[in-house]
Amino acid sequence: MKITSFIGLLIIFLSFTSCIEIIDDISIKNDGSGTLKYTVNLSSSKIKINSILALDSLEGKAVPSIEEIEERIISFKKKLEGKPGMSNVSLDYNFTDYIFKLQCDFTNVMALQTALKEVIQEESKEKNIPELEQTWLSWDGTKMVRSIPEITVKKTKDFKQEDIELMKQGNYTSISRFERMVDKFDNTSATLSKNKMAVMIRTNPYALTQNSTILENTIYLSPIKN
Amino acid sequence: MKLHNIIAFLFIAGLANAQKSEDLIPKDAVTVFSINNFNLLQKISLDDLVKYEFMEEIQQELFDGSTSGKTLKDSGIDFDQKLNVFYGRGESNEVSGFTFGIKNKADLFLVFDDFERIESPYPGTEFYSSYFNNLIIQGNSALLIRVEPTMEKVDEMTDSIWYSRGNKNPWYMDDYMEPINENDEEVFEEEIFEEMDPEKKPDSNYEFPDAEEDPNQKNYYELRDSVQLIMQTQLLKELCDELLIEKINLISFDSRFKEQLTHTSEGIFYLDNSRNVQKAQGLWYFQTMFPSLYNDMKELYTGNVLLGDLLLHDNSVQFKMEARYGEKIGSIYEKMNDAKFDNHVLKYIHQDNSAYFTYNINLRQAYEEAYKVVMPILTDERNAQISANVLTIELLNEFVNKDALFGTYKGSMFGTFNGIKKIKTSKIEFTYDEVTFEYIEKEVEAEEDMPIFTIGFTTERGDIPEKVLNHLSRLTSRFQNMGNYWIYEDAILDAAPLYMINKNGLFIFTNDEDLAVNHANGFGSVALSKKEAKKSKKSGFMYANIDWAQAIDRFPRDFFSAQQNEIIDAMRGKTGIMELTTSKTTKEKTNFDLVYNFGGTYDNPGKYLLDMLNSLYVISK
Repeated sequence: MKITSFIGLLIIFLSFTSCIEIIDDISIKNDGSGTLKYTVNLSSSKIKINSILALDSLEGKAVPSIEEIEERIISFKKKLEGKPGMSNVSLDYNFTDYIFKLQCDFTNVMALQTALKEVIQEESKEKNIPELEQTWLSWDGTKMVRSIPEITVKKTKDFKQEDIELMKQGNYTSISRFERMVDKFDNTSATLSKNKMAVMIRTNPYALTQNSTILENTIYLSPIKN
Repeated sequence: MKLHNIIAFLFIAGLANAQKSEDLIPKDAVTVFSINNFNLLQKISLDDLVKYEFMEEIQQELFDGSTSGKTLKDSGIDFDQKLNVFYGRGESNEVSGFTFGIKNKADLFLVFDDFERIESPYPGTEFYSSYFNNLIIQGNSALLIRVEPTMEKVDEMTDSIWYSRGNKNPWYMDDYMEPINENDEEVFEEEIFEEMDPEKKPDSNYEFPDAEEDPNQKNYYELRDSVQLIMQTQLLKELCDELLIEKINLISFDSRFKEQLTHTSEGIFYLDNSRNVQKAQGLWYFQTMFPSLYNDMKELYTGNVLLGDLLLHDNSVQFKMEARYGEKIGSIYEKMNDAKFDNHVLKYIHQDNSAYFTYNINLRQAYEEAYKVVMPILTDERNAQISANVLTIELLNEFVNKDALFGTYKGSMFGTFNGIKKIKTSKIEFTYDEVTFEYIEKEVEAEEDMPIFTIGFTTERGDIPEKVLNHLSRLTSRFQNMGNYWIYEDAILDAAPLYMINKNGLFIFTNDEDLAVNHANGFGSVALSKKEAKKSKKSGFMYANIDWAQAIDRFPRDFFSAQQNEIIDAMRGKTGIMELTTSKTTKEKTNFDLVYNFGGTYDNPGKYLLDMLNSLYVISK
């Protein structure tokens, strides 16, 4: 699940950032509840980010101050906490290494999706975001279907060539964890952990923005043992 | 037709030399750029000229409709006369425009088709006007001029009239907005008519009176527009009376400008700094509160003028500039620039640098001379505030150890730009466990691109910065003494170290690790060549050298805006050395000489100049 819009205010960084690393880690229990961890690591572009933050504006867009970014992060967290089915929301960030970590528990994947969509919509200036109508996650107790919205493809059309090259050097890691073993999965790029309870797909942010199906996967689980 | 388009158009098209267009430059012009068209047009054909982007737009703007298919050649401008672009700002007004020659008036007005002729109050002169601009033709020369009062002056006058008429503050209600009740619907005249008492109902053809707009708002803005127009008219009249009746122009007003016009260079430049100082708005308070001091300071700046020549050679563009000043200020500059060149700096400039400068001044001598010149002026002022300041300065002069102060910071410095290098930083990496795909954070070494700069100051008291650094190192471990150099961790953008070298009578700041770690005593055999070093030593108080190709290619794009990158891109692929030298400073003047020697691909320096102009035009659109 790609929630670039969730970190909407970081988009200014994404377009100027060399090696961005994103980890999207979801754990689902047998009852459908679970935990989402979403990590954005910009530590390899500290100088660049600091130099951008030192500016008032860049290419006609106002550069937010650290305080403003912090304010938006806190606002996002508060909004997410208030959504039904969400609990233990934590958002860690440090402006030394530029690492941002979101973690939250959810009662079911629909609650998670709805909460994220609502918060993104509330935070966004755009009234209608058609991509938010898509379903990114579904879980029926035996299989999980994952995809990402196409929202990022549009954003990257304006990127400069050198930024695109730099984005290609980044990493996007998507991990799905379960309480029981994985039987099989559709995406041939995915790998299974040795304990067979987690599936990982790794790509780079640019490939992801150009082809939102890269992370599409249907993961089938082994039956629950009584 | 936009003024900037006309300026761009005439800037190129009117590059003329010969007759008397310069006679129409008003004396209020503080800055003038005068271009000798004849010389330039010998080298650049108009057919080439119209291929530039700025010409395309001008052609669209000027040659519209009935003039389609025509070119600048048909514009009626006399390319044998000079084009003079001028600007001046006074205490209450701004004046800008240009003067040029006319060859064919009928053709000219096919271009200047927005102007309408108005009655001229000056014999032998034709007046034309558009919304903002005025075109004045006398003989075969024309003056396109815009005179505007400053908005502060307009507001001041408007408010004065407004309140004297007993009006209230026009801005008072601006922030208060009546909330709009969305349930309120527009009531149409027909509805009112239908609902009226049948007995009082007028004839069905009755016309309801128009609703009046807010008379307060409208009247104030109207008044301000009227005031602006009247002031504009008055200012233009005063300027024209002086120029066309009294025959006072910049040539008769300033003999230095007159002399400069006789130069045969491709273009000349004139900036009267003394009038810039006198008319600077920031000095208004000073002028009002301390008039005698203001007059004394004004006198200090008398004679302060910049005169320049632009010369186009086969493989270079040269800009020669002469900074002239009055005797008192000149004496300070002379003392300041009388500094011995510090040979040590040359050791720290790498032979492969992209750009560097050296700057030699003697702050101690400048201070002593300034004290001698300025203090009597301040002392003469009979004002408590000034007196207190004078006393403070005199006491500081007595108590401060000037030997230590000016020994630590003598004023001379140098700087280099060595392009982009990879510098060591750290980053957080996530490593994954193969069994569970759980991950942990680990700090690892990383590299990032960083522009490499070095800046150094001459000092004969290296012990003083050393004291400061020692103290700082006791306060934080980020300052460390590494023997030959100091390091300040994460000093640059919270990510990269700054190195400080305190050796050989220099205190150097750099982010060049190689310089600090391996060359703390200088670059040795890879330092600047003797030939290059000689140029720097021979120059006056300043020398700068930029290897254009290297500097441009190494420019960090991300540190510049898209517009700035457009200029940089326009300069990419071009090669050459830009060199600034200065003369010895005397009490009267200092000469600056900026030469851009470029390499092979350009057959014509004028064309090169136009490339640069085109870049500027594109970004200023």
